[in-house]
Amino acid sequence: MTFLARRLLLAIPTLAGVLIAVFLLLYVAPGDPVQQMVGERADSVTIARLRAELKLDESLPVQFVRYAGGVLRGDFGRSYITGRPIMRDIRERFPKTAQLALAAMTIAIVLGIGIGVLAALKPAGAFDKLLMGATYLGISFPVFWVGLLLILLFALTLKWLPPSGYGGGLVLILPALTLGSRSIAYLARVTRSSMLDAMSSDHVRTARAKGLSNAQVVLRHGLRTALIPVVTVLGLDVGSYLTGSILTETVFGWPGLGRYVVNAISRRDLPAIQGTVLFLSVVFVLVNLLTDIAYKRSDPRVS
Amino acid sequence: MSHLRARAFTLLALTVLTACGGSDSTPKRGAIVDSRDTYDPRSFDPALSTDVPTGRAVGYVFEGLTRFSPDAQVEPALASSWTVSPDGRIWRFTLRQNVKFHDGSAFTAQHVVSSFTRVLDPTTRGGRGWPLFPIAGANDFAAGKATSISGLNVENDSTVVITLTEPFAIFPKLLAMPVASIVPATTGTDFGEKPVGTGPWKMVEWKHDDFVRFVRNDAYWGTKPLQDSLIARIIPEPSTAVAEFEAGNVDILYIPEAETRQWEQTEEKKALLQAAPVLRLWYVAINTTRGPLADVRVRRAINHAIDTKAILTQLLGGRGRLAAGIVPPALDGSDTTRAPYTHDVAKAKQLLRDAGFPNGITVKLWCSQDATQSRVAQAIQGYLKDAGITAELVQRESASMREAARKGEADLVLKDWYADYPDAENFLYPLLHSANAGVGGNVSFFKNPAFDSVVTASRRETDVTKRTALYTRADSMAFAEAPMVFLWFYNELYAVQPWLKNWTAPTIFNGQRMIGARIDHGTP
Repeated sequence: MTFLARRLLLAIPTLAGVLIAVFLLLYVAPGDPVQQMVGERADSVTIARLRAELKLDESLPVQFVRYAGGVLRGDFGRSYITGRPIMRDIRERFPKTAQLALAAMTIAIVLGIGIGVLAALKPAGAFDKLLMGATYLGISFPVFWVGLLLILLFALTLKWLPPSGYGGGLVLILPALTLGSRSIAYLARVTRSSMLDAMSSDHVRTARAKGLSNAQVVLRHGLRTALIPVVTVLGLDVGSYLTGSILTETVFGWPGLGRYVVNAISRRDLPAIQGTVLFLSVVFVLVNLLTDIAYKRSDPRVS
Repeated sequence: MSHLRARAFTLLALTVLTACGGSDSTPKRGAIVDSRDTYDPRSFDPALSTDVPTGRAVGYVFEGLTRFSPDAQVEPALASSWTVSPDGRIWRFTLRQNVKFHDGSAFTAQHVVSSFTRVLDPTTRGGRGWPLFPIAGANDFAAGKATSISGLNVENDSTVVITLTEPFAIFPKLLAMPVASIVPATTGTDFGEKPVGTGPWKMVEWKHDDFVRFVRNDAYWGTKPLQDSLIARIIPEPSTAVAEFEAGNVDILYIPEAETRQWEQTEEKKALLQAAPVLRLWYVAINTTRGPLADVRVRRAINHAIDTKAILTQLLGGRGRLAAGIVPPALDGSDTTRAPYTHDVAKAKQLLRDAGFPNGITVKLWCSQDATQSRVAQAIQGYLKDAGITAELVQRESASMREAARKGEADLVLKDWYADYPDAENFLYPLLHSANAGVGGNVSFFKNPAFDSVVTASRRETDVTKRTALYTRADSMAFAEAPMVFLWFYNELYAVQPWLKNWTAPTIFNGQRMIGARIDHGTP
């Protein structure tokens, strides 16, 4: 347990650093939040009263202490723009982003590993070339464009799926596929090369020599060894699923945290930006912690 | 965004592929589905309403003493009639009887006072007090110098008397703005989420960044909506909204500028289009206090240098009318016979020489990151170069751009101005009166005593004919002084499904309350 305790302790300065950085960055960035609250036509009386009401006239250290105090009590404040508590906004949107990310990861794992294994069966064969060519495109295409093309094909031409919106069933497929598209391609390439290494290793040769069927050799001996780097890649990808969902959420009108933070940034909604970044940092730290624990369990040498 | 080209290509593909298909049958649903909102309304709290999606939503649920018709005429709403004293300062509003809020409580004169007081109360954190500032004592109350608003008085349950600090003939138009909506006497902290108004629709479900659902208010005092529910979907990406329209899932679609031609070229699609000359001006504010721009000849030279017609045609699909002044042709006071500045490079160069800049000038042109805006800015840059004016583009997201403009740090700023209420005053006063320099909207920092006095006089003039004449005069003075590049008055373009009947595109954003609109399911 000392390992876990040490990791948890290390997370505290990380998060404190994030808190300070996020707080300061936004105050040095151009764009006064009050100017956003008042809209196109404003008046100086309202602006002055709002600044006072939001306590923006106080010195930075005083503002920081108040903010940090709130965060420690679990209070991220209220949005300047909507007046809603930031915590409630995050609680409402994060599960939707997580749902999309999970679905995208599932699709990426199944398709990515599947394609990788199939391609590795006959390296440099026509099938391999075709699949690897396709994955090359998958990595290169902007997510935005992939999303629109999928809408065009599956929603408008074939009329199989709804073009956009939020939901758990059919609506989820296109955004998940879009968000996962890069990962599918990347995982397929990693799986393929890792499979090729594994298939030429000694233990696979031994397995073949024992007279096991081809399927058993590939799945039990080849794939199992090949999966270790694949899992590493997957772990590293978790972050990009959460933050990378911004474009996907925009294209499909998915009401997640990515769109929330982009809106907050464009409106200079300081509490909303700070709250979301802090929250995502906590999620990151937790995910890293889990990855560390997983490594520790699989490899005792990790300390 | 860096995906612009890919997006344009996809849009083209979308259009080509769907041109043959199109939505085939009337939907089964009983709700009108609108797709015009690209972002979530801020709140349903009228005090926070400073943008279009919010103002539109507030307009379904709430009402003020007055309201706008789709063609932007001011109509009685919660006030059934009003009179004004001969000096134009004392307004007596007779209120409608038997009006109930959505929670069943009765509307009385006291609500007018409490609603306006609430908007101006700093703890409400409302963004705009100015529509109520003409009321005597409003400024003092908002600044914390008074505990109530002296100009607001309840005469009896059905009469409210509002005293203004000075005559202001168009005051009833300001009362139709979302911020002047009437709310119940007590509003909880989550009023913005659970609004209670007197309007024709009740808000029943709000999934943030997804949709807002309204149902008909069956106890509405006026003509009730024909359809029993209304859904405002929030779709951030225009191409996605197009796809939803093609799939028949939404009834009203805003056509992006870049797609105008594609829609106009297909007969089948063209039949679905509806244009509205909205009260929106595109212009380049010229900061009249910065260097050579203080010279009117330089400002005229800039106007002559730019081929506005070519830009409007090429980049905005011709959606607009060239501006020769700042009062839109749809409003009283506009002089439609005035000709815009001609595109004349030789004249522009001559004017620059006359002003003492034979080698041209160098300026910074600010624009936002909006796709259309940045294309327009690049075109302007090109034209200015032909006349010897070097314009350096400064592209920032709109928040930073607006702030720089308000602080007077920008030479030229490409902007648009969307009217809050349909009156020439809403252009002349905020955009160019010296009282509004900076945050008030006058980012040209235009300070012209002669112009100011005409505009001030027009605000006080109670006679409509005289007022209109003053507007025309002020507009013509502004045109001559060129504190901006007059670009065009914009036309909005919508596609409306063939089954949606009786919907007309509004001239002002909160002028279409979806009362008469209905979905025609055809004859069974």
